[in-house]
Amino acid sequence: MKILIVDDFSTMRRIIKNLLRDLGFTNTVEADDGTTALPILQAGTIDFLVTDWNMPGMTGIELLRAVRADEKLKSIPVLMVTAEAKRDQIISAAQAGVNGYVVKPFTAVALKEKIEKIFERIDAAK
Amino acid sequence: MSNVLGSGLVDFEKQVKDGAVELLNHIEVGDFSSAIKIIQELSEARHNNFYNEVGYLTRSLHDAIRDFQIDSMDLVVGEGADSANKITDASDRLNYVIETTSSAANKTMDMVDSSVPVASELQTQARELRKDWGRLIQRDLTPQEFRDLYKRIDVFLTYADESATTLHSNLNTILLEQGYQDLTGQVISRVNELIRDVEEKLVHLVAVAGRVDSISGIEHQEKESEQDDTRGHGPSINKQNNPEVLNSQDEVDDLLSSLGF
Repeated sequence: MKILIVDDFSTMRRIIKNLLRDLGFTNTVEADDGTTALPILQAGTIDFLVTDWNMPGMTGIELLRAVRADEKLKSIPVLMVTAEAKRDQIISAAQAGVNGYVVKPFTAVALKEKIEKIFERIDAAK
Repeated sequence: MSNVLGSGLVDFEKQVKDGAVELLNHIEVGDFSSAIKIIQELSEARHNNFYNEVGYLTRSLHDAIRDFQIDSMDLVVGEGADSANKITDASDRLNYVIETTSSAANKTMDMVDSSVPVASELQTQARELRKDWGRLIQRDLTPQEFRDLYKRIDVFLTYADESATTLHSNLNTILLEQGYQDLTGQVISRVNELIRDVEEKLVHLVAVAGRVDSISGIEHQEKESEQDDTRGHGPSINKQNNPEVLNSQDEVDDLLSSLGF
């Protein structure tokens, strides 16, 4: 299981990376916005995407839409971890096909819960 | 300051009123050259008034920014009194906040990263020893195993002592790193003061511009600024007062489940 972490702040990427490691996901790669994340995704080895919303260049919601519009990438599960908490934004993320939404500041428990839930759903759909 | 600003315009309005009366008088008696002279005087006065007010406000703004920079020369940032580290403008100050908070976060995570394996190793060794210690209590050890345990306990105690020292020192480093809050707090307060100062002066400028518009008959079309959700808004401040912003992960979860998630 290879996970791509996209956030413009290196400290936040590090926090998420450490929490994922505690959950047993040791294979992670990082990108600092959607523009740098897309080529990594298109290389085809990423199984799971964790992304922030508010980033310079290409934002998380744009990245999510780009992933869902790409025939090869559209089934990758996407978890948003973001400080964006407006009702309309969460609705548009849901409409764009997000698999989980965690608002910052978040706890290790919340992150774990959402990731497990996403995998449960994927397993149930198989 | 508002009195000074106001008085120029009040004088100007009086001048317009007086001029108008005089103008009518001149026209009534057929003295058109005097009438046109008054129109010219009024037009000049309008220009002068506008430039005076804008000039005054520009100077006030400039003073506010200069005062801020002079104040800031007192603040020396960094370890020790390195005078090269003086921060002289708001943008540098805010960058300093970003760097300081980032460095504190990274150092704290470094300390966590170096503490976690120490704690894990302590746990592993303690668990193994406890297993054999239990057998010792049950008198279930061979003499060789007992001698072995005897040595292992000695090694473990040394390791526990060293580990505690390491953890203690890491925790202290984490504690000290939190000093960033004090430093960045001071910097942000200063920048806040500047923004308040500048805002106050801009409000005056807008007020004057409004009066100048009203006497010169210029109208502006108000544009509604559209908020773009795609770009993001950053963390919400004053969430409680904004019904559009959700306050917790629970509320987000509720909204998503109402959408069929």
